[in-house]
Amino acid sequence: MTATQMRQADMTPVASIQGCTRRYPGVLALDNATFEVAPGEVRALLGKNGAGKSTLIRMLTGAEIPDSGRVLLDGSELTHNGSGRAQEAFEKGVRVVYQELSLVPGMTLAENLFLGRWPRKRRVIQYRTMEAEAAQAMKLLGLDLAPDGLVAGLSPAEQQLLEIARAMLGRPKLIILDEPTSSLAAAEAEKVMAAVTRVAAQGIAVIYVSHRMNEIRQIAHSATIMRDGKIIDTVDVKGADTREIVRLMLGSEASQAAALEDRSQAEVVLEVRNLGLAPKLASVSFALRKGEVLGVAGLLGSGRTELLQAIMGVRRPDAGDVLVDGSPVRHADYKRMLRNGFGYTPESRKEEGIVPLLGVDENTLSTNFAGVSSNGILSARRMAEATRKIVDRLHVKTARTDTPIGTLSGGNQQKVVIGRWVYAGSRVLLLDEPTRGVDVEAKAQIYAIIRQLAEEGRSIIFVSSEIEELPLVCDRVLVLRDGALQEEFRSPNIDQDSLMAACITGH
Amino acid sequence: MSLDHAAKPAASDKATRAGFTFSQHMNELSLFFAIVVLYVIFSATAPGFMSFNNQVNILRDAATIGIAAWAVTLIIIAGEIDVSVGPMVAFTSVILAFLLQMGMPTPVAFVLAIALGALLGAIPGVLRAYFDVPSFVGTLGMWSALRGTALFVTDALPVSIGRNDMLDALDRSIFGIPPAAIVMLVLFGVFAFISRKTAFGRSVFAIGGNAHAAFLSGISVARIRVALFAVGGAMAAISGILLVSRLGSGNATAANGLEFDVIAAVVVGGTALSGGRGSMLGTLLGVLVITLIGNGLVLLGINPFFQQVVRGLIIVIAVLANIQAIKRSLARNKG
Repeated sequence: MTATQMRQADMTPVASIQGCTRRYPGVLALDNATFEVAPGEVRALLGKNGAGKSTLIRMLTGAEIPDSGRVLLDGSELTHNGSGRAQEAFEKGVRVVYQELSLVPGMTLAENLFLGRWPRKRRVIQYRTMEAEAAQAMKLLGLDLAPDGLVAGLSPAEQQLLEIARAMLGRPKLIILDEPTSSLAAAEAEKVMAAVTRVAAQGIAVIYVSHRMNEIRQIAHSATIMRDGKIIDTVDVKGADTREIVRLMLGSEASQAAALEDRSQAEVVLEVRNLGLAPKLASVSFALRKGEVLGVAGLLGSGRTELLQAIMGVRRPDAGDVLVDGSPVRHADYKRMLRNGFGYTPESRKEEGIVPLLGVDENTLSTNFAGVSSNGILSARRMAEATRKIVDRLHVKTARTDTPIGTLSGGNQQKVVIGRWVYAGSRVLLLDEPTRGVDVEAKAQIYAIIRQLAEEGRSIIFVSSEIEELPLVCDRVLVLRDGALQEEFRSPNIDQDSLMAACITGH
Repeated sequence: MSLDHAAKPAASDKATRAGFTFSQHMNELSLFFAIVVLYVIFSATAPGFMSFNNQVNILRDAATIGIAAWAVTLIIIAGEIDVSVGPMVAFTSVILAFLLQMGMPTPVAFVLAIALGALLGAIPGVLRAYFDVPSFVGTLGMWSALRGTALFVTDALPVSIGRNDMLDALDRSIFGIPPAAIVMLVLFGVFAFISRKTAFGRSVFAIGGNAHAAFLSGISVARIRVALFAVGGAMAAISGILLVSRLGSGNATAANGLEFDVIAAVVVGGTALSGGRGSMLGTLLGVLVITLIGNGLVLLGINPFFQQVVRGLIIVIAVLANIQAIKRSLARNKG
């Protein structure tokens, strides 16, 4: 049966991918995928990280060319095989709105909507025309804002809506939204969903990448689930239950739990009581024991990073207490938490983790230069020795200890970022997505490192959006959803399916 | 251990490191080459350029720019900027002259002048570190206020200090070399050491390379920023002391436009204005380039107004050529 026969009789699919395969070195990103979406349809696209969602999207936008198979937009095949392909797809009406906003805060709504394509007459921008058109475009989405106001004054949801309004210009046929609500609080997300419904009502197809089941149920007609580069199934969201969708997303991988000791009697090193940080964290309470690896699971935007930052004093929480060794920390600031023996590795390694031009040694030792210097003067010998110790212990692959860290692979950079706290002798480590953007081998090493650090009596909070890795390392996993801890799983009863279900279930 | 065995890892080390060391030295090599070219041109065309006296003059002029430039190099590596150098030199020279007129013992007056320089320098540092005022704005304010104060209290007249043995000694050459040049070279050694071998110096590089990462690894970003600007003020004060010894008076109109020579020297020396990258040796060579250009053009008898045009062109061309050379060497190493 061909894709053409499969489609509904009265509607040409807006976009269709027929038997596309795309191979990257060492990985099959898209495996004989066939997919299509009809006008006015809202299709959810689900799959864990690396399942092939972005490759599929890039096929539709012309950013990637399939190794084999065809991509049809509006009934005709994309023909360009070079840089013109993306332009061709754009002209055929494909628009994408990414998670990262691309607005200029200091310019007006109208200027942003038409960024770079401002209506001009003899080189002078026609503000009146532009603002009238902008107001109309926003009205289509139910967005009632002054077009001459500044983007800087908008809420995150309004900014997201403005991005969608921008994608709506020039008669698009297919709009792809990549986790549009991930950075929004629940009430704000409602506005975006209402706008998506309006978009679809105009006969525009929408591909909606999200993992929030309650949203998907509310707006999508059907959901396509991907795994390992394959389209696993397309299900009717009304009929399918969350468990079933989770099973399709994760497959039947055997999840092996680490063999763990009971830590429930060990002393509590960190306790968090009713911690709040509007609008991301409502009221979070938990305790971390000595030698324990505590996982925090949650979708993008669930407040994971904010939780770690509030504990570390990088952000000031609005409410609640942080207790270290049983006594509350007053006016927590970052330096004080470091002195308390805490260490923190940020989510974005490049932006916040490393100083790329400096060597592995200086990136490791910066947490405690005093340990390798006397009277402020660094000893080259002690620097090399101390770095070598960490490099060997954490299996960092580097030719020399003074190689600039920017030249190392992501996994090795991450090991150094963790290693700097091992060097500093921290006893509590807060790791935010330590395996993000890291290859499989390095991931396994990082898991082993975390377990080893815990066995030495350090306590670790391990934040991850990759559900399948949590059972491998954690003694206990807390599920963060809508700014609060919803469920707790204890080893050996941490299974991926229930974890994923707990993460994506609606409130 | 057999030779083959030993050679192998060394060769692979070299492959990974060579690109970096070579491109780093590329900068210094091309500057050195520029200095040689300037020497060849000026010794052929400018009368008296190669004379001993003129070489001493070059060193003395280099000291005026250099001493301030060492500190400004660190400031720029940290991703900041200091445009208040010239007025700071003039202001401290005036204060020093007043202190000496009041009969204060010379060494005490020196210490006070340097401390005052550090204190005043720390103001834009505090504004930057704790109140997020960009260092360009903070030091621009100092630039205007210090020059204004110095002119106001002196009516733009030199403040004479009379006879002072210690200051005279500071202007008397030792084996033909002016003490200012010796101070400059000693401070160069100190700063080169600080920038490479101390926790403070390496923290400066870390802050300039990625301030956020530096903060998260526990480096005291704010304190280091304040300290940098204080050091900048202290170095300008030392220049002010040497200025008084040279002129025999404190002078509110002195060191006019010095800040731009200093920044030009640092930038010509290969330090990135965006921070994180730079070297003291580069700045030393940059100081020499800037000083040689100034000296040679005067000796050539070029119209002083037009000298500024030539100087501007040479600075931009030097930086342009340097960037191109580094790009080429990087591309070669990659391919």
